[in-house]
Amino acid sequence: MFLDFERIWPSVPYILQGLPVTLGYMGASLFLGFIGGTFLAVLKVISIKPLNWFANFYTSIFRGTPLLLQLILIYHSTPQLIGYNISIWEAGILAFSLNSAAYMSVHIQGGINTVDKGQMEAALSLGISYPFAMKDIILPQAIKTILPSLVNEAVNLLKESALISFIGGADILRRANIVASEKYLYFEPLLIAGGLYYVLVMILTMGANLLEKKLKTS
Amino acid sequence: MILLENIHKTFGSLEVLKGISGRIPRGEVLAIIGPSGSGKSTLLRSINLLEIPTSGKVFVDNVCVSDKSANVEKLRTKVGMVFQQFNLFPHMSTLENIIYAPMKVKKMARKDAEILGKKLLEKVGLKDKAQTYPPNLSGGQKQRAAIARALAMEPEVILFDEPTSALDPEMVKEVLEVIKSLAHTGITMIIVTHEMGFAREIADRIWFLDEGHLVEDSMSQKFFKSPKTKRAKSFLEKVL
Repeated sequence: MFLDFERIWPSVPYILQGLPVTLGYMGASLFLGFIGGTFLAVLKVISIKPLNWFANFYTSIFRGTPLLLQLILIYHSTPQLIGYNISIWEAGILAFSLNSAAYMSVHIQGGINTVDKGQMEAALSLGISYPFAMKDIILPQAIKTILPSLVNEAVNLLKESALISFIGGADILRRANIVASEKYLYFEPLLIAGGLYYVLVMILTMGANLLEKKLKTS
Repeated sequence: MILLENIHKTFGSLEVLKGISGRIPRGEVLAIIGPSGSGKSTLLRSINLLEIPTSGKVFVDNVCVSDKSANVEKLRTKVGMVFQQFNLFPHMSTLENIIYAPMKVKKMARKDAEILGKKLLEKVGLKDKAQTYPPNLSGGQKQRAAIARALAMEPEVILFDEPTSALDPEMVKEVLEVIKSLAHTGITMIIVTHEMGFAREIADRIWFLDEGHLVEDSMSQKFFKSPKTKRAKSFLEKVL
């Protein structure tokens, strides 16, 4: 086995430039997915049947088809369907957010269900409207209980963001691949890319553990 | 004044309230008593529409609040509630618990709300607990804070749903003292309770419920001395 890191070394900064790209996809999708997931979760728990159906249908579609398919579909069919020339960034963040919203909505709904029914009743009995009771009383408690699974979702997003290289996004994986085909060396650049993902995931996981400990004591 | 007109409530195939009518004058203290499962709590929760009556009408100040078009939120600002399980918001300090609704619903300025909140905390003997979070309060303290929270909306009516049932025995008294201090101050109080001694002491009027019927509606002294109905008599013999 011959490993030739020396030839790869000059290309490492190029691969590292993928880091903000990967983190950008993850961060933006996590944020938008969380908002979307919260919204969906609320649609699932309120007692209006058509909204429940919609939210459940949405979730089953996005969980029931490959994310890669969703990404490619959004990227290639948007120009065809509405004539808008969607950028890689837009397509990526849209696909990852829509997909992640479906997964997060399941967690958030679970969190809402763990909040005692008396909390909503107490809020309503004070004359607080349902939307405010949901936003200020129920959701903060629900989200606190599911923070660890939200970190998990961040880890998933981080890894899944590598799919963006399929449609040409210059993230860590894509850059490693470019270096690989330039130098005809595959193992080394991909190893560096894998190492980067792994370190990021470890950092997130450690953060999650710390958070969980802190939540347990409070 | 609260007026109930032929209230029915069914859960699935179970009819919990079987046509209850009654009138509660402003400022009166009413205790609703009766065996477990008689529908006391359901009746109480029908008044602020936490339970929607299957049929029948609820009037508060001559407004039919059980109408579909009625403004339920406005009704609830007039009718406060204290729960058996306290239901304080655990992620807010005691003071935040109290001032949240006045700020949100009545658009009271934070400064004014805090002054009101601190006054109420003093009233219920929790002056030094303003910044404490509910999980760090004792049961009795939680319930007193919950009473202060209900009072912060300056309701005309307060509904008490077994306010001492979840408390350790040594904490019952401090809560009952607070409730007693509110009686006959102009606020209408409707109390579902198993504390007969307390009901006798505080209530002007007693409603005795059994199997979803309002079996007896009497002034308190009369009820405890000589109940009109057999069922009330046998109930009192069992619990007194």
